[in-house]
Amino acid sequence: MKLALTELRRRPGRFSAAAVILTLIAILLMFLGGLLDGLIASSTGAIRAQDADAIVYSDTAQASFVRSRIEPQTRAAVEAVPGVTEVGGIGNVQLGARIPGKGPRDLAGVALFGYEIAPTGVPDAPPAGQAWADDVLEADGVEVGMIIEVGPARTPIEIAGFVNDTTFNGQASLWASPDTWREVLSANRPDAQLGPDVWQALVVRGDGADLPALIDAATGGATTSFTVDDAINETPGIQEQTSTFNQIIGVTIAIALVVIGLFFALLTVERTSLYGVLKALGAKSSTIFAGLVAQAVVLTAIASLIAGTLVVLLQLLLPPGSIPLLITPGRIILSTVLLLVAAVLGCSFSLRRVLRVDPASAIGTTS
Amino acid sequence: MFLAFKEMARAKVRFALLIAAIALLVFLILFQQSLQNGLITGFIGAIREQSAPVLVYSVDGQRVLQGSVITPAMEEQIRAAPGTGEVGLIGQGTFTGLPSGNADGESFDTTIIGYELGPDGSGIGSPTNVIEGRLPVADDEAVVSDADVRLGYDIGDTVTLLPGGKTIEIVGIAANAQLNVAPTLFASYDTYLDAVASVNPDAGTPLPNVLGVIPADGFTPAQAVASINDQSLDLDALTRDDAAAETPGVAQVQQSFNIIFLLYGLVVPCVTGLFFLIVTFQKANSLTLLRAIGAPAGRLVSSLLIQVVVIVGAGLALGTLLYYPLSQGALGGIALDFETGAVIFWSVLLLTLGLVSSLVAARRVLAIDPIEATTGQGVGS
Amino acid sequence: MTSAPTAPAPTTTALQMTGVRKVYTMGDGSDVVALDHATLTLASDEMVALVGPSGSGKTTLCSIAGGILSATEGTIVVGGEDISGHNAKELTKFRQEKVGFVFQSVNLVPFLTARENLLVVDELGKRTGAPAKARADQLLEELGLADRAKNLPSQLSGGQRQRVAIGRALMNDPALVLFDEPTSALDTKLGEQVMELIRTEMKARGTAAIVVTHDDRITRYCDRSVHVIDGRLDA
Repeated sequence: MKLALTELRRRPGRFSAAAVILTLIAILLMFLGGLLDGLIASSTGAIRAQDADAIVYSDTAQASFVRSRIEPQTRAAVEAVPGVTEVGGIGNVQLGARIPGKGPRDLAGVALFGYEIAPTGVPDAPPAGQAWADDVLEADGVEVGMIIEVGPARTPIEIAGFVNDTTFNGQASLWASPDTWREVLSANRPDAQLGPDVWQALVVRGDGADLPALIDAATGGATTSFTVDDAINETPGIQEQTSTFNQIIGVTIAIALVVIGLFFALLTVERTSLYGVLKALGAKSSTIFAGLVAQAVVLTAIASLIAGTLVVLLQLLLPPGSIPLLITPGRIILSTVLLLVAAVLGCSFSLRRVLRVDPASAIGTTS
Repeated sequence: MFLAFKEMARAKVRFALLIAAIALLVFLILFQQSLQNGLITGFIGAIREQSAPVLVYSVDGQRVLQGSVITPAMEEQIRAAPGTGEVGLIGQGTFTGLPSGNADGESFDTTIIGYELGPDGSGIGSPTNVIEGRLPVADDEAVVSDADVRLGYDIGDTVTLLPGGKTIEIVGIAANAQLNVAPTLFASYDTYLDAVASVNPDAGTPLPNVLGVIPADGFTPAQAVASINDQSLDLDALTRDDAAAETPGVAQVQQSFNIIFLLYGLVVPCVTGLFFLIVTFQKANSLTLLRAIGAPAGRLVSSLLIQVVVIVGAGLALGTLLYYPLSQGALGGIALDFETGAVIFWSVLLLTLGLVSSLVAARRVLAIDPIEATTGQGVGS
Repeated sequence: MTSAPTAPAPTTTALQMTGVRKVYTMGDGSDVVALDHATLTLASDEMVALVGPSGSGKTTLCSIAGGILSATEGTIVVGGEDISGHNAKELTKFRQEKVGFVFQSVNLVPFLTARENLLVVDELGKRTGAPAKARADQLLEELGLADRAKNLPSQLSGGQRQRVAIGRALMNDPALVLFDEPTSALDTKLGEQVMELIRTEMKARGTAAIVVTHDDRITRYCDRSVHVIDGRLDA
């Protein structure tokens, strides 16, 4: 193996082209993964932040706030379920916000939530007319104390402070008291306004396994409830995005495998006589093959390192709001591991040839 | 030619691996091309395939139909603009719909676009590409987008809205007319109003989301847009194409895919170029020998280029073959299509890039000095 | 047999081949006998030239003696070890420890320095570390290559590469060294120098050697010659 690594060090040129290709593929993997992560994160931040054991929608809502309505009697039924300790209403409305300093037709998309139970990282509801803002709005020049105008009715909302990672449906969220939310809703979306004790959904805390199922049973099927994780998965589009991206990533790994297999197969052909000499000198096939694998692993590791650096740079350079890219260490590590596995498997194309090299070929006239 | 094929026949594994790599890349590129087009068409196909040349949103709508609301005051301003010819109200809402044609009794997010019916169903905002059936001529009739038929929205099926139970009958199918990648129904404006009331009795009468505008005589759509926007900063008029292209998310999708295509597209010539360069080095001795016994350099280069064409061509064919069955179906809610244009574009591009990348190897072949056959050295060192 | 008087057999023989046959079966089913009933004995410090035209079987014999090829029939004992029935794994170990090779096309590892080329055998086998390094330096010194220790093969002359190969062959203190056409790529003068060096080194260490050659000029450097024609040994 030391021999193989020495070759890598002394003859970087012949490996550099393969390294470039591997870097391209690694960038692809990390970019695709980052895109998926970014899409999911920006869609579901608000739900992920919910500190709850169940989220309750009405049964025909298909896990969508805007199509869900929970009447007071349904809420009462939920509160009565054994094991339930706390129930809070939640609702949102998605509007365009006018921010001082931005152009008259240049609105920021916001999702304004009214809530009773505070999500993780969000303080209790501020006074009327105020809201906590997700910090993505800072990129639009929003500051604490600033008053922004929400919706066609230009309802004024004062920014009480910032919270983090609570975006919803790709938009910045504003967290306000239930009364503020209802006011905004009826002023700007009269067709979607709700009666005084009607909510879009409920946030439930409680004990007991399978609380969502218990709740749905208690309401006689008038509700569809989910754990927070399930609610995230049920968010329209999430599952399709995830499976599509994962399939594309999977095929890309297969491509990496074939490319590495190809490159090392070519390299092995070229080194057949060298392997013959080494075997004549007493090298075992396993030693030679291990050297090959070591080279593949080192190349892949270097390619992943370069790719990782480049995608992190890309994320920094992207203007906010252009592409929903989220590069996490977890994603970089996962992509690297997948590539390393592909590298090791790709080398297997060369195994037969390495085994077949005959030490006797080292002796004799060169034909 | 003879040499080119003989060599490939004798080194099947190597060449097979290269073809496999190219085929997989081609397959992925074409598949993602379909995905991109399907996604964008699924998002805003309805906007592209409706009859109003100009759509006027409220600025607050941020170019999303559902977010836009046209107040009576705004409607007056629009009608008063010199560039405005005829005007039609358009409303859009998302509902939970239960199509009768669905065997499993599934319900789906269903978009209803309501427009003012004109004579025999056409009107401002009506679907322009009806491929089967007819336009609605009365309330509670609708034209559905073709991508939704397989979910149970076929001609003759009824869609029940939940809650409330309002039913709408499907009378026609339009091509590529989806909105928000969800089943989309075009119906009369009154049907839309009725639907809103049926699911939310608390709601008042909704205002129209956008107005469809036919430009006045002597005005192009672009001129009409400018004339309307001049009326008020609350108005956001757009031509049909701009309305489609500037829907939030569309640009993001296109930019993301552009980066993806760029990367995949680069991998192909890199792999091809590297492969042929290495192989040329490995054949050094035989190439030198051939030159020594009189083979013209041009012949050796053309032999190399023939291999490139055959390999890349085989990869393209195989990749397209893998892509075809996938392109006939759907992915999630996105209907996929066989993008002939993309196949042609990428075939030409990748073949050209493959040939260009192998020029590096070709240069090496041309640099061979036949005298080296006698000294025992070749192209390699 | 030999022209010189035969000394009484020493207590250790480097090589004892008895009735060795190598038969290849061709694609069409017919058999080709590469080596037929070969019997050869080498004393522990004897140098033997194997002479014969191309295709005569001398390379086959050399390969079998070196444990690179298995015989179809017969017994082979090298340095006291019976390798007749060894499997591939055992032959590999045997080659690591008991045999040295100097190939016709030299075949140094092109990206390793002269010193590293000597250390390859230790790398592949026992990995003794410091003792191997010391031995390598000593050999390089003896072979007049001490100042070339850090050069790559591409930076060495043909004769220098040949000497590195000889050094590599001697690294594991083998019982037998096999030289395959050591002078075929060299001119007469250089060839004679190399043979001188080989003889000196072999004799100084008391190591047995087989020199495969078709060149009669160099047989005088060896203790005796054995002629091989059509797979049969002849004195």
